[in-house]
Amino acid sequence: MKNALGREIPEKIGGRTVRPYQGAFATVPGGNKASRPQKTTTLGENKVLGSLSAAIEATGLKSGMTISFHHSFRDGDCLVNMVLDECARMGIGDLRLFPTALFPVHEPVIEHIKSGVVSRIEGSMNGPIGAFVSQGGKLKEPATLRSHGDRWRAVEAGEVEIDVAFIAASQADAYGNANGIRGKTPCGPISFCAVDAQYARQTVVVTSELASYPAYPFEIQQGWTDYVVVVDEIGDPDSIASGTLQLTRSPTRLKIARLAAAAVKASGYLEDGFSFQGGAGGISLAATRFVGEEMARAGIVGGFGMGGGTKLLVDILHRGLLRTILDGQAFDTDAIDSLREDANHVIMDPGHYANYDSRGCSTYMLDAAFLGATEVDLDFNVNVNTHSDGLLLHGIGGHQDVASGAKMTMITIPTLRGRIPVIVDRVTTVTSPGEVIDAIVTERGISVNPKRDDLKERFIDAGLPVRKLSDIKSEADRLIQPPRRPVFGDEVIALIEWRDGTVIDVVRRVEGWE
Amino acid sequence: MKKTVTIGSEEKGDCLVSVSERKGLEIEITATVPDLVERGIRAVVERTARTLGLKTGGIAVEDKGALDHILSARVEAAVREMFPSVTAWRPTVEWQQSARDRLRRTRLYAPGNNSRLLAGIELHGADCVLLDLEDSVPVAEKLSARILIKHLLAKIVFPEVWVRINPLSTYGSADLDEVMLGQPHGICLPKAESAGDVQALAQLLSRLEGEMGIEKGRTFIMPIIETGKGVLHAEEIAAADPRVVIIAFGAEDYTRDVGARRTRDALLFPRSRLVAASAAARIQASDTVYADIDDEDGLAEETRHIRDLGFVGKGAINPRQIRAIHEAFSPSGEEIAHATKIIAAAEEAAARGIGAIAIGGKMIDQPVLERARRTLRIAAEVKEEWQ
Repeated sequence: MKNALGREIPEKIGGRTVRPYQGAFATVPGGNKASRPQKTTTLGENKVLGSLSAAIEATGLKSGMTISFHHSFRDGDCLVNMVLDECARMGIGDLRLFPTALFPVHEPVIEHIKSGVVSRIEGSMNGPIGAFVSQGGKLKEPATLRSHGDRWRAVEAGEVEIDVAFIAASQADAYGNANGIRGKTPCGPISFCAVDAQYARQTVVVTSELASYPAYPFEIQQGWTDYVVVVDEIGDPDSIASGTLQLTRSPTRLKIARLAAAAVKASGYLEDGFSFQGGAGGISLAATRFVGEEMARAGIVGGFGMGGGTKLLVDILHRGLLRTILDGQAFDTDAIDSLREDANHVIMDPGHYANYDSRGCSTYMLDAAFLGATEVDLDFNVNVNTHSDGLLLHGIGGHQDVASGAKMTMITIPTLRGRIPVIVDRVTTVTSPGEVIDAIVTERGISVNPKRDDLKERFIDAGLPVRKLSDIKSEADRLIQPPRRPVFGDEVIALIEWRDGTVIDVVRRVEGWE
Repeated sequence: MKKTVTIGSEEKGDCLVSVSERKGLEIEITATVPDLVERGIRAVVERTARTLGLKTGGIAVEDKGALDHILSARVEAAVREMFPSVTAWRPTVEWQQSARDRLRRTRLYAPGNNSRLLAGIELHGADCVLLDLEDSVPVAEKLSARILIKHLLAKIVFPEVWVRINPLSTYGSADLDEVMLGQPHGICLPKAESAGDVQALAQLLSRLEGEMGIEKGRTFIMPIIETGKGVLHAEEIAAADPRVVIIAFGAEDYTRDVGARRTRDALLFPRSRLVAASAAARIQASDTVYADIDDEDGLAEETRHIRDLGFVGKGAINPRQIRAIHEAFSPSGEEIAHATKIIAAAEEAAARGIGAIAIGGKMIDQPVLERARRTLRIAAEVKEEWQ
């Protein structure tokens, strides 16, 4: 069947009946939220177990079950590999992995897939695992990719049932309160998996620093936690967060960022209480910095900024240009320090941030957002999951959540990456539909979605180089021979969910080349 | 004959091209995403070999994301270095005349053999781009830089583009033979010290323009004055030939030549002399570059200073410097209002057939009127700039 964007979607995948995407805000949820078994911890009961294997045994984890993890330790995470190695040793296999995201450090997962320890993955696969899975035939069922908000929603809705949630924490107490901003190797907020901790049948907190009671903030709460395990190392500090992220020096990228900031200034949204989201990509970071300059020049105080947290965002807060930072993850050490020290730098979980099936999202309160893309097309559809070669390489992150929420969503991209064009006739994969994208900002000019003629007028009045997307595309295309396009087979490698749980697109196996 | 010639680099946006002798034409390509790009790269290499008339030879390309014209330039350079009998590609160029007195607030330098820094150099809003063959290009790379610049000129549309050649006493003449095929708007002559230096260049240009069948005299000259002798001869240099539309100052070489430190005092004499010489010849004068690209305040301060001395532009060594320079040269709201008043008064006077114009009891003479026109012209162009 075809969904509302004309993408061909199978009606059933594995045991799942697919709901096709119908529009950014078309779905009305029904029924009640899921729940977990009741349990009481008796007075004086000890939750601390001596080892991971003891915890795995205590939870009763068996082959075929679902285990979950968060990604706040990013490329420095030790827990996923430790748990899977332990499961392999204990003869537990056929596991469904439900991480918020996997990173290059998790490359050993590939061996666990080959040996049958892992048979299904639902979560972002950044890098080698995505490339491996894209070859097809590796997993029992296609992977499912969800945005930050959608993952939270799916757990609450009972669409994903977690048997055991393994929660890495830089600090925890013996009673199961845990956080990611204190301890020897802090990683920033770990609230991404607060939903796992509340809905999993069993929750295991794993930490490298056992603090005396109470360890706080209570990102993970004692009332949710079954067991606590202490390990020597939970994260490699060199790979968790970067030191200070370097601002790009590329003149092209700086130009795009300047243009994005100029667009914010021209948009009419730059007033007291202004709110924005910038990511950690090079252009986004520079745009964040330049927007800060525009805020200072306009003499306004912004309401809130969202990250992930970075030094650049923190600097804007500490210069008094912003009242609050709402942070789901921290990308550098400055942001982690600020979370500990500044009460106006607030930890926010994805349920608060972005859950479609909820009574409110912070993304809906955003004025402006700068997001990236691997490809965009002439209908303003955005792809962040695959490259033009069809390989599944990136997660959705908060792209859909932010794009559909912000009053002005800008995609900040260079027109060419090497000799590969970024603006294409039709994106390889749709991650976010054109209807939620307001403008595409490139080094060759800015293109405004036809549904936003109001913005277009403001941009033209401000002297911004407003151009048709097709003109920008042809100007870039004349510098390169068109790349070959992959030919896709029938086998579905991954489902891309829209943030309401419908399927916006699927990634199929590449079978050849045009 | 050499066994193999390799041209280019492994930097992002470039490629390494190696050419060697073979019985037939053999093309070998390595790239990071070969499925996507190999076919396109092969097409460009084959086309380039065909235009050069190359029938036999091995061409190996290691691609790092080079755009077509960069790849093509690398192939031509490697082929010609390997087989000197192969003659240069002669592109068809869409020529657009540039005005003698156009706005030239910034001349943005770009090293002529660095494809990473050349990528998108036309997109930063500089009034003129200056592709360099002199100081930023090592001797061994002069040929490949010339060819790269030629391909760039043939492909990219610039508002105004210049090539800084080497002095005619070194490689300048060979530079011209190649880059003139790309038909730049003008040629920068470094270390100009006399009218004779400029006239020698003008003669070469006339000959090349004649050979190419393009209008004689249309290629501008920008002498760069950067020695004590040059400063003393600024007047004759500025007036040496009708092709000279602007003279530029080079402070680094000048201070070295005369043994001065780069202080504002030390530069006041040469700067003022250049401005006076340009005024006498009714051409423009552009100031030296500001070396510290991270010091935006210092750049803005120096630009305001040289604007007040009478310069109409300044060199930039990084696109990040353009904003500050243009800002300093942009008329303020007050200046624009005043100029508008003057023009309105002049128009009214003309309509009523009155010769003399006065505003608030002050006489408005011709130079004031011209200055007002210039202010409004800059203001109109600046209005189009969001940066």
